[in-house]
Amino acid sequence: MIEGLLNLLFFPGMAFQVICALSFEWLDRKLLALFQRRVGPPWYQPLADMIKLFSKEDLLPKGVNDRVAGLLPIVSLASVLTAGLYIPVAGFSPSAFEGDLIVILFLMSVPTLAYYLAGILSIGIYSVLGGGRSLLQYFSYEVPFLIALSGPAIMAGSWSIEGIIRSQYLLGPFIIYQPLGFILAIVGLIGKLKRDPLDIPSASSEVVGGSLTEYTGTKLALWHLAMNVQAVVGIFLLINLFLGWTKLANPIVAVIVFVFECLILAAVLSATSAVFARLRIDQLAGMGWRILVPLALAQLAMIILMGV
Amino acid sequence: MVEQLKKRFRLLSSIIEAFIKEPETVNYPFGELDLPETFRGAIVFDPEKCIGCGLCVRNCPADALQMDKKSRDEFKLIHYPARCAYCGQCEDDCRHGAISHSNRLVDPIRDPEGYVVVLHERKDETLA
Amino acid sequence: MAKISIPIGPQHPLLKEPLSMKVDISGEKVYGASLRLGYVHRGIERLAQQRNYVQNVHLIERICGICSHIHTTTYCHAVESLLKIEVPLRAHYLRALMCELERIHSHLLWLGILAKHVGLETIFMYTWHDRELALDIMEEITGGRVLHAANQIGGVRFDLDKDHIAMIHRTVDKLHNKLDRLLDVIENEPTLIARTRGVAPVSTELIKKYCVVGPVARASNVDVDMRRDNPLPPYDQLSFSVVTFQEGDALARTRVRAYEIRESIYLCEQILEDIPDGPVSTRVPRKVPEGEVIIRSEAPRGELFYYVRSDGTDKPARLKIRTPTLAALCLLPVQMSEIQVADIPVVLAGVDLCVACADR
Repeated sequence: MIEGLLNLLFFPGMAFQVICALSFEWLDRKLLALFQRRVGPPWYQPLADMIKLFSKEDLLPKGVNDRVAGLLPIVSLASVLTAGLYIPVAGFSPSAFEGDLIVILFLMSVPTLAYYLAGILSIGIYSVLGGGRSLLQYFSYEVPFLIALSGPAIMAGSWSIEGIIRSQYLLGPFIIYQPLGFILAIVGLIGKLKRDPLDIPSASSEVVGGSLTEYTGTKLALWHLAMNVQAVVGIFLLINLFLGWTKLANPIVAVIVFVFECLILAAVLSATSAVFARLRIDQLAGMGWRILVPLALAQLAMIILMGV
Repeated sequence: MVEQLKKRFRLLSSIIEAFIKEPETVNYPFGELDLPETFRGAIVFDPEKCIGCGLCVRNCPADALQMDKKSRDEFKLIHYPARCAYCGQCEDDCRHGAISHSNRLVDPIRDPEGYVVVLHERKDETLA
Repeated sequence: MAKISIPIGPQHPLLKEPLSMKVDISGEKVYGASLRLGYVHRGIERLAQQRNYVQNVHLIERICGICSHIHTTTYCHAVESLLKIEVPLRAHYLRALMCELERIHSHLLWLGILAKHVGLETIFMYTWHDRELALDIMEEITGGRVLHAANQIGGVRFDLDKDHIAMIHRTVDKLHNKLDRLLDVIENEPTLIARTRGVAPVSTELIKKYCVVGPVARASNVDVDMRRDNPLPPYDQLSFSVVTFQEGDALARTRVRAYEIRESIYLCEQILEDIPDGPVSTRVPRKVPEGEVIIRSEAPRGELFYYVRSDGTDKPARLKIRTPTLAALCLLPVQMSEIQVADIPVVLAGVDLCVACADR
């Protein structure tokens, strides 16, 4: 019981994930700045932003249901924190069960729905536009993302992440067998996190802030935290599904390898954010259904043939 | 073919190159700012050379220079740094080189209309 | 879906300067727009009637921050032709050098803004970094990055010596290399091309009907450039080519401006080679004889038009300015039909707004 509470609050639960989320945001902003020949923020910047937002006034337009609007960021934060509980970190997974991959994928979709509702709820014009776009984007990237992520599950023969990792101990990291699946999973992750080049719902040139235009204060801080935790959970998920290594005897080495993989993946995300322009929503829908889904199905067919 | 590929990945190679080099920003005000000699900054005045002709006042576009002239030997020239446009017209018009721009930056001014600098005041000694 | 009308401006992340536009949309489709200007109106033309000709040079410079030098050059040409004096040729060459440097800096600024609106922030940072090279040259020779105070009636106020010329050669070479990288990206980056190709194409007839000038017109195959058609000295002795494209969409407008930077670099090198020796200014009388004159020149955004009327005193009787942005803004509501909401930044950036110029 005490151990469960410690897992929930400290590792790999709330405190660990919040620290990882703030570090990820700093790493992302610093890398982007270095790519653009700027200096970038100091290490305490995301924490300082969060504290500053907590101290701001919490306003919403007249006629908006304040309680539901406050509930939405809390629900998204809670769902991604819960999803993070079940993802092994450097081989350490206190709570695993058969089928937890499906639960995690479901929990990670809750913030998207909450984002859409937040846009519709705050009655402003830009919020409604941003919310509608986020749902359109969801329909374009989610299907190839799910198909790509079920590749490792089919190859390992189990729907639990622990089982997939154990299968990688025998066969080697799955990226060797499914490179296409890995790339599709990264594209899907960029879409889920609403980052450049797929940050269409919150494109500041067109819809000033997207769904979150009217949010301020504590609610906005919780939204940002939820998005950063979602990023961290997504990165951990991808590392466990595609980059698990053979069982390393020394846990310190396992931790170092895990951290190194996290940094590489964060660098890849920042680099794609720096190199590509933002797509238009119809171009994203076209790309999603005409290119990504056939590629994902082809990858799935190859895995099934390999297994046979 | 290789040229085409290099052109396709031009931006990616640029960002990797930028990552290796140093950032290009100056950490002002803690870092050094490199202003050239010709930069038009704060006004410097040489009272020895001023004869009170008023040519600088006539063409100032911002009314930043004002002259109270009672006679040839009694005048007062005042300058409003907050109104000044730092254009250098007074420096061009003065035939004796009394007024010119340095390349020092002007500090922030709290009370624009109250900030007055008396550049030159000459009183008529014979009338005392 | 229902039709709603979203406001773009007066404050919006898209706009550098305030502008009020109401765009009618339904879902992702834009139906039309209506435009309202005047937020940056300062009454320059009226203020110019209350100041003498010398003070007006500095007033005119502050109409716009990006194209400040071409405004003063055109005004000085107008007053000099009313005074009927001969300005030394070296002064004309120096003015042209600053004009071309200003064109380079304006187009690089614009490319950065387009990239930022499209979501490619890296190119924004890189072009504005390259623009610092041009601004450093201007600061070294005239003393100001944006407000140069380089012109006076009768000539220019600065001169170049050997060190300056060597520095300009070095920096212009560096700019040439950076421009090659930029052109590679514009021609080959798939996402940038996908966002700008085929967006809001404007036909040649529409350009001629709305009297649009500048790079927007040249992107739709209208071959007009004041530096070649109605040249002020020394452009009649310099050789350059006018860049035109045919498609008239946003990609064509981007390419026109990017290749014009290259033409401006060639012009800078020609000017530095051909510049004659001599004085840089002449003395001018204070009172301007009666008369009226029209002078046209090529600002970075198109044809700039100045009308000056004098009545024999030392203050102008009437000063009328028509800036190129005003003509392009009239085309904007027409362009805003049959596009998507995501194309609004691209269209708005393609016009290259300088609302301070348009409002005066």
